[in-house]
Amino acid sequence: MPFARISAPASLLAASVALALSAFQVAAEPLAAPTGPVILTISGEIEHTNGDGVAAFDIDMLRALGETDIVTETIWTPDQHRFTGVRLKTLLERVGAEGGTIKATAINDYAVAIPNTDATPEGPIVAYEMDGKLMSRRDKGPLWVIYPFSSSSDYRTEVIYSRSIWQLDRMIIEQ
Amino acid sequence: MTDAFSTRRKGRFSFLRPGHALLGAIGFLCAFAIAFLISEIVEELRYLNSASSDNVHWVLSQAEVEFLEFSNAVETARREPNEAALNHVIVEFDVFYSRMVTLGTGLLYADLRKIDAFGGSVAEIRRKLGAMVPVIDGPKVQLRSELGTLANEAREIRPLLRTVATRGLQFFAERSDQSRDSVAYTLLRLAAITVALVLALVVVLIYNRRVSRQTEKRGEELADAYTRLNTILQTSLDAVVVSDLEGRILNFNPAAERIFQRSYADVIGKDLAEVIIPDHFREAHYAGMKRMKATGKHKVVGHGRIRLEAMRANGEVFPVEMALEKAQTGEDEMVVGFLRDISHRVASETELVEARDRALAGEKAKAEFLAMMTHEIRTPLNGLLGNLALMKKTQLSPAQNRYVRNMGISGGVLMHHVDAVLDVARFESGASVTREEDVHIGRLVQDIVDSQASAAEANGNHIQWGWIGEPLEWIRIDASRLRQVLLNLVGNAIKFTHDGRILIEVEQTEGLQKDDRTCGLDIRVIDSGVGISEADQDRVFNDFQTVDQSRIEGQAGTGLGLGIARRFIEAMEGEIGCESTPGEGSVFWLHVPVAPVARPEERISQAPKTAPVASLDILLVEDNEINLELAREMLTGLGHRVTEARDGEQAVATAQARLFDLILMDIRMPRLDGLGATRAIRSGDGASRAVPIIAFSANVLPEAKDRFTAAGMSGFLPKPLSETELQQVIARFCGADQSQQEASPSDRNVDPMAHLRTRYLDETRDLFNWLARLPSDLGEIADRAHKIAGSAAAFGQPDLRDALIELEMAAESGHLDRVEDAIHGAREAWESAPEPTLG
Repeated sequence: MPFARISAPASLLAASVALALSAFQVAAEPLAAPTGPVILTISGEIEHTNGDGVAAFDIDMLRALGETDIVTETIWTPDQHRFTGVRLKTLLERVGAEGGTIKATAINDYAVAIPNTDATPEGPIVAYEMDGKLMSRRDKGPLWVIYPFSSSSDYRTEVIYSRSIWQLDRMIIEQ
Repeated sequence: MTDAFSTRRKGRFSFLRPGHALLGAIGFLCAFAIAFLISEIVEELRYLNSASSDNVHWVLSQAEVEFLEFSNAVETARREPNEAALNHVIVEFDVFYSRMVTLGTGLLYADLRKIDAFGGSVAEIRRKLGAMVPVIDGPKVQLRSELGTLANEAREIRPLLRTVATRGLQFFAERSDQSRDSVAYTLLRLAAITVALVLALVVVLIYNRRVSRQTEKRGEELADAYTRLNTILQTSLDAVVVSDLEGRILNFNPAAERIFQRSYADVIGKDLAEVIIPDHFREAHYAGMKRMKATGKHKVVGHGRIRLEAMRANGEVFPVEMALEKAQTGEDEMVVGFLRDISHRVASETELVEARDRALAGEKAKAEFLAMMTHEIRTPLNGLLGNLALMKKTQLSPAQNRYVRNMGISGGVLMHHVDAVLDVARFESGASVTREEDVHIGRLVQDIVDSQASAAEANGNHIQWGWIGEPLEWIRIDASRLRQVLLNLVGNAIKFTHDGRILIEVEQTEGLQKDDRTCGLDIRVIDSGVGISEADQDRVFNDFQTVDQSRIEGQAGTGLGLGIARRFIEAMEGEIGCESTPGEGSVFWLHVPVAPVARPEERISQAPKTAPVASLDILLVEDNEINLELAREMLTGLGHRVTEARDGEQAVATAQARLFDLILMDIRMPRLDGLGATRAIRSGDGASRAVPIIAFSANVLPEAKDRFTAAGMSGFLPKPLSETELQQVIARFCGADQSQQEASPSDRNVDPMAHLRTRYLDETRDLFNWLARLPSDLGEIADRAHKIAGSAAAFGQPDLRDALIELEMAAESGHLDRVEDAIHGAREAWESAPEPTLG
């Protein structure tokens, strides 16, 4: 297992540009109001909202931002699983987050601060499906911040584990 | 200045092999230790990094918190009958449920679950929660009615959860301890390896220091060697010139500067050829350099010292001895030349050679002079002695007779001296060759005693000889030399003894055997004469040693006699010496190895073959007036007819025109010499081309005789001419049948005249006896009458001769009456003839 994953700079740059363009296009559109049950609300230092200074998302809106799969083991589950969700970076760009820290809070009010720097093109996703099924609250749903633990030991630290918040329902972008 | 000799040897410099290995081993060990260490640390770090433990304590206590939240929500819902309270119960249940799923299935807790108290409790809790799910998920009304049941269930879960929490904490506390131990152990090993590394580094450091010290030492040694080499080069007496393969001079030592008279600065980098090689060698030099570069082959390099020529700055070419060697310095090849100026040596060698040549030339000139002088002396001496001999035959007064005899004696002594010098000259020039023949040694000694008897008697000496022990008879030896030696010894003994006795002892010995010469011959000549002082004994065998004039009367010698004797005996591989007591006498002894031979059956007589020969027509060729006259007198005295020629050309012309019976030919003559004349006569078609030609010369060297034979001459007659020898030669070539000439060696000393006379008388008697039988063959009568007629004239019976000629003519006429009358007349003439005499 490699200590650190080093991507080829060229491919990294290309991916960044592509994502930036798509984000710009999406960001240009006004954020629609959620039609289903709201599973995530983002507040704080954001540009785009669909409510009272809040960006609220239902599952369809999250899916519309583009789906990303991460296949990994976790220390909390028995086997390797395929997690499906939206890339944290994509999500933050969609709401025009400008802050340096994301304060993520779970249903049981467990809260953790995720630095904006974690939101990389290869970084964590906000997962809503495990092995192709939406996650229930008893299965650590509705949202779970999943890092690609198996891809690098950099992601197998206590800090990262603490940031892998499950039963996520709120985010506050802070300076 | 010796750039070329600077030590460009870094490539060759090497560390000690074992050191190399040690260094490698240490390096490998270090690398291995470091790799091991790194892997250990990485493993540990990975373990620490992975943080598989999460915040377990928090998780376990959170489970309790979430359970309490759930219990609390249930109690709240029982007190406050609203929807929100019920929803809160559901959320709290889900959260707690989710927590228990994590504890029940998470990989992190797999080890923990293996502990019964933990795993069993978790399973029990999950089972109970699973039982609650239908109620929680069911209609809200039912949920409200079941809240009490949920509270009771929750109370049952509480102790189980407590067990899970405490057991889990205990497990992770233990694991934490283990982890600490593991880290401690790793660190300990790290420390150990670090120590080992430090030690290894120290070893390497020590080794490096040693190596560097060695390097330093070697550097010093090299520097020393370099200095020494430089000193050698600087002080070398031989020029040392170094060039590259292009011929550019790289080095030039002080000796080279001195020899070539060029300075180091002037020649460095210049072409060798232009600096030291003379023009005529340059092309060969360039060709050699080219060949060496192209093929690597060289004729001169590495082939030791050779002799060549080199050139100085002023263009002077001088001889050098040179050795070239090829040397390798790093990548470059160079040629080192060692040159030595040998002009002095060559000059002195040349001088030596010249001196030797001069000495040799001097020796040769001396020998030639001696040979020439002896010849030149012998020729007039021959004339003197010959004329004396002739004069003796004339009518002389008693006083004249005495003078003539004295002159004859003096002339003989002079001839003897000249012969002695000639002997030495011949021997020294190597011209004298040993000629062995079979002789009867007893007779040889007897002859000498006989010949010396009168001389001994003259001094009042008694001379005799005898064998000691078993006598030898026939032996093979150089008889003429032995005879000469003995004559010399006996002659000396007689000369230095007065009124004494001379004894010759001959003895056969066993010593001194050489090859087929199986026995030795000792001859001792013992006299009772004056003797020889001890100091003189050592030098009597040297050349030109004569005794004090006062000790003998009259006869002084050349001092060569014993020197010649010594030479002859040494040539025969024998020894000669003397012992003497002054006043009592001397013994001269000689030992020679000899080969005994069988007694010859019948030996050809060496006696004078003075058979009665008819009067011959003889052509006498001689340029010297006196010699010519002498020879003519002798020949005519013998009854021959002599025709004279004064040189070779005359001789050839005369012989061409006329048939002679014999030609006597002098060798040294003006115009055409004897050899040339002989060749001309032999190769021509003249009348006398096949007649015997006798060389007539004072040159008696053996090779001279060979030359005469090669030119076609039939025989040789030495000067001075003796009548006896002349007769012998004429008889040999023109006389009767050879077989009739045979006689036993004992006849030698019989008077030849008597022998011939006897024979003549026998033959004449035979003729008349035969004629008495009245032979009918008239031709044979004529022949035999003619033959005896010739002899009759020679023997002083002219009447008989005339009568026999009458008979010959009568026989030829064929008239028998006349023949009978002639026979009668001849018999009368024979009976009345005087005693036959010769000369």
